[in-house]
Amino acid sequence: MNTLYYFVLIPMVYFSFTVFFVGTGIRLVKIFRKPKQSTSLQIYPEKRPQWLWALHDTFLFPSVRKHKPVLWIFLILFHVCLLLLMIGHLELFGEFRIFQIIPHEVFLGKGFVGLILCLAVLFFLFRRFLSPVRELSVPEDYYLLILLFLIVLFGSQMDWARRWYGYEELLVEDYRTYLLSLLTLKPELPYNVINSGHSFMLVLHVFFANLFLIFFPFSQSMHSFLSLPMNKLRRG
Amino acid sequence: MDPKTREDLLKLFQGKLNEAMTFYLETCTRCGVCIEACHVYASMGKVRYIAAYRQEIVRRIYKKYFKARGNVWPSVGDAKELNDMALEELYEAAYSCTGCRRCMVYCPFGIDTQMIMSIAKLLLVGAHSEPEILTLLADTSIEKGKSLDIFKESFLTGIKKLEKDVVKKWKMEAGGTPIPMDVQGADLLFVALAGAHSIIPTAAIFNAAGENWTLSFFEAVNFGAFVGDPGRTQLILDRIVKEAKRLKVKEVCICECGTAFRVMKQLAGKQPFKVSSVTEVHARYIKEGRIQLDRSLLNGVVTYHDPCQIARNGDVIDAPRYILKHLTNHFREMSPDPKYNWCCGGGGGLVALGEETLDFRMKSSKVKADQIKRTEATTVVTACENCHTQLCNLNDHYQMGVDVKFLSSMVADALVQK
Repeated sequence: MNTLYYFVLIPMVYFSFTVFFVGTGIRLVKIFRKPKQSTSLQIYPEKRPQWLWALHDTFLFPSVRKHKPVLWIFLILFHVCLLLLMIGHLELFGEFRIFQIIPHEVFLGKGFVGLILCLAVLFFLFRRFLSPVRELSVPEDYYLLILLFLIVLFGSQMDWARRWYGYEELLVEDYRTYLLSLLTLKPELPYNVINSGHSFMLVLHVFFANLFLIFFPFSQSMHSFLSLPMNKLRRG
Repeated sequence: MDPKTREDLLKLFQGKLNEAMTFYLETCTRCGVCIEACHVYASMGKVRYIAAYRQEIVRRIYKKYFKARGNVWPSVGDAKELNDMALEELYEAAYSCTGCRRCMVYCPFGIDTQMIMSIAKLLLVGAHSEPEILTLLADTSIEKGKSLDIFKESFLTGIKKLEKDVVKKWKMEAGGTPIPMDVQGADLLFVALAGAHSIIPTAAIFNAAGENWTLSFFEAVNFGAFVGDPGRTQLILDRIVKEAKRLKVKEVCICECGTAFRVMKQLAGKQPFKVSSVTEVHARYIKEGRIQLDRSLLNGVVTYHDPCQIARNGDVIDAPRYILKHLTNHFREMSPDPKYNWCCGGGGGLVALGEETLDFRMKSSKVKADQIKRTEATTVVTACENCHTQLCNLNDHYQMGVDVKFLSSMVADALVQK
């Protein structure tokens, strides 16, 4: 069992991060080196400054707010919570003063951020079971959402355990030791990380996150990088 | 489909994969925000007419042949092989899309369905499965460009016959040429359609405004763009660019034809002349006081249909409204925001295909007919030949009892003689 834990928590993490960074990098360079469209793809009437409106479209999804307000609420919640969780993960490496402007315990949001994210992902998933979004969806869309759900569920469970159930075996300091060791290329697995009652959750969380990272550069998740340049094309 | 044909078609596909096209093919999350955007889906309710579904027909082939996972794990994205059945699906997707780009307004990323459909159309041309009539018309236009001398005489004779109708609309001063042709150093080259209705009213307005203009030998419409053939589109466009350069004009003015205007404005590249739509030019004459219009001729509510290629895709939005303000006191907007205006349902070559597409055009544009009815207008004005034909067909089919008019004709009819 320890070998399996070791494999998921160390070599597989290195492998998936390499695929994620190298894969995404190569794909983006390849796409941006393709010939530019010679004609305008703008939609009128135009609003200036166009770059500001492109940012507005990219980060606030105004067209979704207008046409699918319920979906918009979940989309905003999803993306904001995703950002907060990323900050939370950075804080597992060390303390960042900038994130402590609002003093908090790691993770931000007292466990509710993960809960909201779980609910948002479930909403996206069940939405795909209903026609006509069902007919539009392809397996990739379901796989990504299921993966995200599993990642968030097992990850949040560890947070919930500390916050809500008073589970004190696996602490932020343990994660910090593990993650910093990965970052400094001197990987080690502290005793608590692989031997506490919740270690299996950590292993599952990391396993699904690895799968997600490996799939990321080849999936529609690339919209996170391409949305801004596309919105800029539409705004002119 | 034999392997050689498939290989050739995939080369054509590859040629379309520039940066923007790759953005569009890589990014769709199939979120469904575009569901209500397409007038065909809104009118007929069939899933295959949703923008994202249409795109997916092309995207599945992209996933099969242009993504590594097409070999490793094709089922994850429903990747599909390019075969005869796929061509049929491409035809259905491309020739039920009018290229209005209303869905682009809905999409959170701004994916351009018209651009993705241009791949479908090009593959159909490559497989000789496109609507033949469009290619034939495109080739005729190209041929005319190559051997202008053969057409020149008969064209000039034809134009001479129209001149007396121009004079009837606007009395010429003695010695004036009602329809000038081939004028070196003219300020404005007017590119019309093959039809008196496209030439006479505008000629009268140019003359009334005292414009130093000349009529092009070529018709504006670009069948190459309808059939989605970039080579033919460029050749048809080049005829006009060459003529404009030869005559050293300062401005090329495109008649009421959406596709012609957008193709000319966006594809002509940097040229020594500017490109305008005839609507913009007419609005300018009013603003400069070069023509005056009689506002008392129209009774009843008047509404304006924004042609997609001229308004949402061409930025001519204020000019027609400015003109209409000088033609009537009873103007009523069709849609609260012009960028959300429903397409008439006749673009993308569908009207050019005539009777063959009539039934589909009528069924797929019910939302347009309903939109017009809601305005309670008695006159529907537009500035595009395709839209005009389609709106007339809708008027008959849905018995709307409206008068469908060209904006330029209304301006010509309302000219105040000094």
